[in-house]
Formats: sequence, structure tokens, C-alpha cells
Amino acid sequence: MRVKQWWIVGLGLLLAFALAQPRNEVRLDLKAFRVLSVQQEGRTVERLEAALDARPGQLIEYQLNAQNTTDNTLRQVALIIPIPTSTTYQALSAQPLRLGETLVVAEFSFDGGRSFGKLPRMRKIRVVENGKEVEKEVEVKPEEFTHARWVLPQMSARQTVLLKLRTVVR
Amino acid sequence: MNKLFTLWVAVLVLFGAALAQQTPAGTNISNQASASYIDSAGQARTTTSNQVITVVQQVYSFSITPDGTQASPGQTRNALPGAPVYFSYTVGNTGNGSDTIQLTTAQDAGDNFDLSGTTLYLDANCNGTIDPGETTPITSISLTRQGSPGASACVIVAGTIPASATNGQNGNLNLSGASAGNPSVTDSNNWARAAATTSAALTATKSASPTGSVTPGSNITYTISGSNVGGSAASGVSVGGLSGSGILIRDTIPSGLVVSVLPTGSAGAGTAQMVFSTNGTSWNPLATGNLPLTGNGTIAIGMFVSGTGAFFPQTAAYTFSFQASVPSASVAGTTYLNSATVQFHNGSSGQSITSNTTTHTTASRFSVAIGGAGVSAADGADTQTIASAFSGSTVSFNSTLQNTGNAPDSFTLSLGASTLGVCTILQSDGVTPLSGPVGPLAAGTTYTVVVRCAIPASQTGGGSVTLNATSVNNPSGTVATLLDGVDATTLVVTAVASGYGVDAAHNTNSAAGGEGSDPGNDSRAGYNPAVNPGGIALFPLEVANTGQNPDTYTFSAVLPSGWTAVFYPDSNCDGAMDAPTPAPVSGTGLLNNASAGCYIVAVQVPAGASPVDTTPVTGDNVQFIVTSTTLGSVSDTIRGAVDVNLVAQISLEPPRTGTLTTPGTLTYTHILVNNSNQSGVCSIAGDGGSFSWTYQYSLDGSTWATGLSGVSVAANGGSQTLFVRVLTPAGQPIGRTDVNTLTATCTVGSATVNDSVSETTTVVGGDLRLTKTGVSYVGSSSTVRDASAAIALPGDTIEYTVVASNIGTGSLSQVVITDPLPSYTSFVSVSAAISGFPSGTVLFSTDGITWSTTAPTALTAGGSIYVAVSTNGNSTLEAGDLMPPAATITITFRVQVQ
Repeated sequence: MRVKQWWIVGLGLLLAFALAQPRNEVRLDLKAFRVLSVQQEGRTVERLEAALDARPGQLIEYQLNAQNTTDNTLRQVALIIPIPTSTTYQALSAQPLRLGETLVVAEFSFDGGRSFGKLPRMRKIRVVENGKEVEKEVEVKPEEFTHARWVLPQMSARQTVLLKLRTVVR
Repeated sequence: MNKLFTLWVAVLVLFGAALAQQTPAGTNISNQASASYIDSAGQARTTTSNQVITVVQQVYSFSITPDGTQASPGQTRNALPGAPVYFSYTVGNTGNGSDTIQLTTAQDAGDNFDLSGTTLYLDANCNGTIDPGETTPITSISLTRQGSPGASACVIVAGTIPASATNGQNGNLNLSGASAGNPSVTDSNNWARAAATTSAALTATKSASPTGSVTPGSNITYTISGSNVGGSAASGVSVGGLSGSGILIRDTIPSGLVVSVLPTGSAGAGTAQMVFSTNGTSWNPLATGNLPLTGNGTIAIGMFVSGTGAFFPQTAAYTFSFQASVPSASVAGTTYLNSATVQFHNGSSGQSITSNTTTHTTASRFSVAIGGAGVSAADGADTQTIASAFSGSTVSFNSTLQNTGNAPDSFTLSLGASTLGVCTILQSDGVTPLSGPVGPLAAGTTYTVVVRCAIPASQTGGGSVTLNATSVNNPSGTVATLLDGVDATTLVVTAVASGYGVDAAHNTNSAAGGEGSDPGNDSRAGYNPAVNPGGIALFPLEVANTGQNPDTYTFSAVLPSGWTAVFYPDSNCDGAMDAPTPAPVSGTGLLNNASAGCYIVAVQVPAGASPVDTTPVTGDNVQFIVTSTTLGSVSDTIRGAVDVNLVAQISLEPPRTGTLTTPGTLTYTHILVNNSNQSGVCSIAGDGGSFSWTYQYSLDGSTWATGLSGVSVAANGGSQTLFVRVLTPAGQPIGRTDVNTLTATCTVGSATVNDSVSETTTVVGGDLRLTKTGVSYVGSSSTVRDASAAIALPGDTIEYTVVASNIGTGSLSQVVITDPLPSYTSFVSVSAAISGFPSGTVLFSTDGITWSTTAPTALTAGGSIYVAVSTNGNSTLEAGDLMPPAATITITFRVQVQ
């Protein structure tokens, strides 16, 4: 049997599989850590503890472990970490992801995940200047971000990536 | 949109303090990541992570105001020696959870006197006075979290100046607090001063109605009152912008509050006049035209009591009252602090006395609106409509959820009964499922909710589902009522068109695509494969998904009885069977919408199929059906024409040999078999041999003719037994052999075929006639393989029957019948029967010399069986053993093919 026929049969099997049970081709594991600064031998060092609880003002680091569980390459993998409403995004904490020769930088949304863009994010506002209403573009503050996203052009079979960002409890 | 946004920005700026609230202790911060991707099949997929939850812990924090040090007390009270003084404090919780503040007082060791009888009271209505009902001393106070009603309280510290104090002496007192939740959190810089005076001393007490919490849009009436509790009359002071001198009772309007009505007031002496100031230093008489005045932290109103000299005697009182309204957009938890100041002259210096501070907190109103996408949501019933969608697809509605209340709130979203299939509520990103309530959302803010419905494949009409939003803090109300805790929006798809379609077409161009449109492509003119029975006709075809959704299709066929169809993929779409031949398929596998696949149908025509000659399009005799696995009503059928060739073939077997006397008669049998796929009509004739013997033919062995015609033989192995009778005239020389060639000529359809067989007859002199026939059996069973032993397979048994007859008129002596074991066979058994003998014993021998009455059980290859009959009773063969006329010996000889 030629490869293409296997391919067609494979598609059929995949569909049957899809109909039979929920898919889990990308396994996402999200963890929350409380970031603590502690003094150790005269230096300030950071320590991560499981963030079962946190106080206002404390930093929470979210770590998203994403794995392609299939033996195939997946394309256009968009990984999204929401920024909970009771927290604000800490600027510069969403680290770029190195994928071989490419660097995937985070994109941000300030409209609940409807649109994403790289920094700086701008929004148009109308203000009154010299008695006239004019439209101005202002930079959206990190505190207004609602979601962060990394778009991986492709994810190889069995590949795992780790994404991080930090938020401050309001 | 932008106007509303600007408004909200203004609101946020105005009440910035209120928004800087901490997240309440116990709040769950939940988070769930999501991913979208394109899988190896080109399908867009989404998935979500586990949910992580972080619980917000309590932070303890509070403040006591006004602050003050021993050198610079936060408040000063003047009174006669021996008179009581009352200090007003506000204790506010600035933490994110409820707390109890322990309160203690301390006296200053470095001043003139200590106050006696210091006691703390809760000033429930914050009017600076210990009212009836407020006379129970306290040592602590419980407060709710910041931003909620009950987060702050007024406390009065009462004490008495010793009677021994003299004019001008001071006594300092401090109110300290400590958090019960975290005793290390304290506030202890709240020094106040009591001054003993015999000069004029005015008091200022502020009360407000209502107290505590206020609803947006309501009014607060502030009343400042006091009297001269000193030892002499008070004089006035000069006030910028106003003529003369007088006592000024001034009040800075709390930021955001609006004064729209003229204040009222009176004084026990002098002339009272209502005044206002926009900069806090320059004052003007207040008239209706100056209103409204909106508090900004500077604008103040007041009452100026003018008089000459020490005009305000002891015990003279004043009262000043004004009304301020709370903005309707006031955010819950917003606090409005207010205190008044009285400026007068006590005879020796100008004095400024500050009243207690009243605190109002905006009460929460919890309400919700949900409606179509936009910057604000429509409250009340509303409908969002998508004009049309395809069955089997998903539709998404973006709805705006808005906190129309004035406090942070969370909202529970639910869906009513759906006629749009299974619907799911998703977060704003349209991917992550909503788990639990949405929020907390700040007052006025919005959140986009996505409802995604998977319209069933079989749906044909429109449908709807209702998205309900309910305030967690106020889960009561109705959809129709505005600004309450319940709202809903109806999501409608007006029309649903089928999202499934398939077009099967003949692949006429040996390439993908390029075929005509349906249904014209369902037949293929000019394509008419012709096969022999048992052959295979191929039909290349293409299947295109013309629907809107990915789908798989199954193959089936409608064929003449006994025919079968097998479907193969045609990976390169060239219309020819791939090499090596791929595995058959039962369907297309997954086809994305607007994509197609190529296949080849192999129609297997069974062996023996009758000839077919049909015309494509008008005479199509096979149908191939492609049916959607998702929606069985979606299918397409294409048709084709298969011709079956005529195969004409007959056999006439077996050749016969025999002997007869002269004159004599002998009958042969032959089998005519029609192996064509159509019945034949045959004529049978012989060439009559070389010696003018008479040959006659019959179909039944009783009616004889010189030739046969019009003999019908069924197709596919149909047979006819033919009888041939040979009659020899007298006088033929012994040993003459005549060969009659018998030919069957059959017309099968349009073809004519023939076959011949011979009969070889030899004239014998004696009167003993031998005939030998054979029957082959399948294996050792009794199933006949061939009635004339023309066919035998290895392992088959052949039974030969040799009949020896004395056809003469005299007895024959010492008759021995010999039959050799045929080559490639093994001996099985032999037996013999006799008839026509008066008496006799059958004798067997394997060498012709030694005889036995018992049949042999073995015979070597190349050997022969000898059979004779002893009639004289001595069990050996002698000249005296006679075979009478008409007697027969029948030998049954069984062998097995090796």
C-alpha cells in the first residue's frame, strides 16, 4: 500500500478516534507559584512556592507546560495564559520562547482575548484638546492586559515547551 | 463609545481611592490556559489546561484619624476648667478583610494636666456627640474590609478638664489602636489637646442624615451646630471678600457631592448670611444663581454671623445646615468625609475650631446587563440574530456582560434550553470554557462572553438559546426590570441551511477535477467496458465534498444479481489502478469541505454471467452510491454501463470403442455439454464411417433418427446425452474396424461452435462380446465425478464395469476375462457377478494360472485381473467349464487414481 493510502486510512481512523473520545493532542499543564524574595548569605534571591494562597501585592508566576503528545507536527500552535482579573500583569515578565533559531515573543490582549498584538499595544482614545475633540493613540498599560499568547509556527512530535509570566495580586 | 469611555475614565479618576481597593481576602484567583493549533489533518483544534486556583489571604491594615503629635495635636478642644471635652476620631479598616481594632488612650506626661474620666464611645451616627443609645463605653471596634459598608466607624473620646486647671493650660491625650488579626499592626500618632480657657470658646459639632451608607443619587443633610461654652463673649474675625467681621462656619464640600439648594442656618446673636468660596480664601454671599456647587476639595460653603465687638455671648448657639447629593454613578465603597471649621476671636486671638468628621460610604448596588457586542450592554430583554448558518457548523455569539452596579461583582452565566444544538459558554478569547462566575468585574466594566453552539448536522430550521446573567451578590430580579441582578439576551439563528453535500462524478479526464457539474456528471457517455464472464470492469470516479463541513462518505453499489463491486483509492487521480493494487476501501475517509478524492470501482462480473450489451447513459446497469456518514440523507449516485461478452464453447465426449458381431447392433452414449454463457441450439450428425454401416441417433435411446437438430442445451454446463446405435450388416470381415465421427454444431447467440467425437467399432468373430464402461467418483465417496470416467482427479476412485456376454447360439468353453490395472492407479477391489449360468462359481486370478474363489485384495502395478467361471464344481478352470448362450459375466473393478 502506498503512503497516500495509509494516509487516507489514517485520516479515517483519526476521525473515528475524534468522534469516539475527546482529543488531547496538546497537553497543557498550568502551575501557579508565589514569588518570594528572601535574603540568603547577604543576597536577595527569589524563591518559588506553590501559590495555593497569596496576599494583595504579591507576585504570582504562572508556568505553562505544553506538550505535543502526537507523533505528528502541529502547526500554528497558539498558547494562551489568561491574566486573572484579580491580578495585573507584571511588565516584561512574559519571557520569549526560544525555538531553535526562532524566538517567539509574547503577544498581549487588552480586550479579553479577542485581539492580540506585540508590544507596544496602542489604543485610540478621544480627548478634548484646545476645545476640539481629537483622536489620539496611547500605549496600553500592562495593568490592562487580559491575556498573553505565544504563537509557535510549529510544534514537533513529542515536543515540550515551557512558558512563564508573572502577575501581581490586586 | 468613546464618550462613555471618557465618562468612565472621569469616574475612575474621581474615585481613584475607591478603586485602589485590594482584592478581598478569600477571593479565588483561578486561571486556565488554552491552546489552539492545526493538527496533522489540517483541522483547527483547541484544548485547555487544568485550572489553578490561588486564594487571596488577608492583609491587616487600618488607620485612625486625625493624626497628631504632642507638639502638634490633630484636634484641639477648648473648655472651661472642670468642663468635659469630646474628641472625635474616625477608625478605618484599610485591609482586605474584616478586623477588630483594640483601642486604648494615653495621657501625656509632659503637659499641664491629665484629663480625668477618659472613656471611649462609639459615635454610631458620626455626629460628634454622644447621643442617647451611644453611652456604652467601648474598648475595641469591629470593622468590615475596606470598601464595604462598615469599613470605618466614628469614635468619641470623652474626658474632663480638671477644675484646678487655669486659663491657657493644656492637656494632651492619645488614642492608639492595634489590629486583633495582626497585633503588630498599630496606629498611635493620634494626639489631641484639651485647652482650659476662660475666654470665649465655641464648639462645632457636625451631624449628618442619613449616616453611614448612602445610595447613589440620594441626599445627605449636614448640620453644624455649636455654642459658646467659654467664659466670655466671642468676637468676629475679618474674612476675605466679606465686609465687617463675624464668626465664619465653613465647610468644604466633599469631592463629588453636589449642593443644589441654598443652605439654612441661624445664630443666637449677630446676623447670619450664607456665603461660599471657590478658592477657600475669598468668600462671597451665596445666592441661588451660584448653585449648583460640586465639591472638588476646595469649593466651600458657609455661614457668616456678623456682629460688632464681642457680640456672641456665653451660651449663645448657632446652627448651619446644607444638603448635598451623592452622584448616581458613585462607586460603592466611595467614602465622603466632611468636617466643618468655625473661625472666631476669643478676645485675645483668632481661633479656628474643627468639628468632628462625618463619614459616608456609598452603598453597593448590584445589577447586571447582558446584550449584544458593544461597549455597553443593553439591559432588559434583547435579541442577537445571525441571519443564517450551516448545519454541522458552529456559530459564535459575542455578548457584552456589563456590571451596571456600582460595586465590584461577579456574575453567573447560564444557558436556557437550546434549539441550536449543544451550546457552550466561553471566555472572551472564544476558546477557554467559562468555569464558575465571571468576575469580580469593577463597576461599569464589561466582559465579552462567547457562546458557541454546534448546530446539529440534521438541523433544518433556525433556533435560539437564551444566555442568562445573574449577579452573585443580588441573584434576584427579572429580565424586564432594569438595574437589577438578573438579565438575559436571546441568541437567534434565523435560518439553518444544510452544511453537508457531496458530488460523485465519473473521472473522465484522468485527472482530479475538471468534470461537469452535478447531476450531468453522474453518467458517462461513451464509456462501456466489456468483460468476459468472471471479468472485472473498472470505473474511475471522484468524490467531492460540496458541503461546508469536513465529512466522510461510505461507498455502496446497486448491481445486477451476483455482481459485486470493490472500491479502491486512486492516489494520483489518473483513473488507472495504482500499482501495486492498493487495499480496498469502504469509504472516502475524511474529506475537508471543498476537497475531493479519487477512487476506482472494480465491478466483478460473475462466471457464467449472461451476455449483456447495453448503451451508456440510457442503459446504465450499475450504480455507485456515495453516502455521508454524518447525514445519511446526503448522497450522490453515479451510473455506469457494463457489457458482458458472449462466450460460446461446447464439448462432446467421450470417444467410444466397441465390438460387435456381423450382423450385430451396438449402442454408444455421449454427453454434449454447453459451456457457453448462453444456451445453444445444436444439430448432431455423424459422417457414417467408411463401410456404409448404419448409424442412428437418439436423445432418449428409443426414438432413432439419421440425424438430430434443434437440440437445446442450457448455458453454463447444461448437458444432453446422445445415443448412437450402430448396426452392421451380415458378412463383414472379422477384424474390420469402422470409425464414425459424430459432430455437434451449436448456435450460441450470434456464434456457431462445434465439437466432434468418434466411435470405433470392431467386428469380432466369436460370440463373446465385451463392453467396458467407467464411472469416476470424488475421492472415495459415492459422489459421481464423471459418469463416463472422462475426468478423474488424483485420489478419485474409478469404477470400471466389464460385461462379457455370450451373444452366440452355442456355449463357450474356458472363458477368461482379463482387465489390466490402468497406469497411475492403485487397485482397490474387484468383484464379479454372473447370470445365465445353470450353476457356477466365479474364479479370480492375478496370473491366469492359479485360481481362487476369493477375490484378490491386492494387485501389483502392471498386473491384471483374471476372471473365469467354473461350472463343473472343481474350482479351477478346465475345458469343461462352459458359458451358455445369453450368459453374462459382470466384473466390477475399482481403482484409485494416484
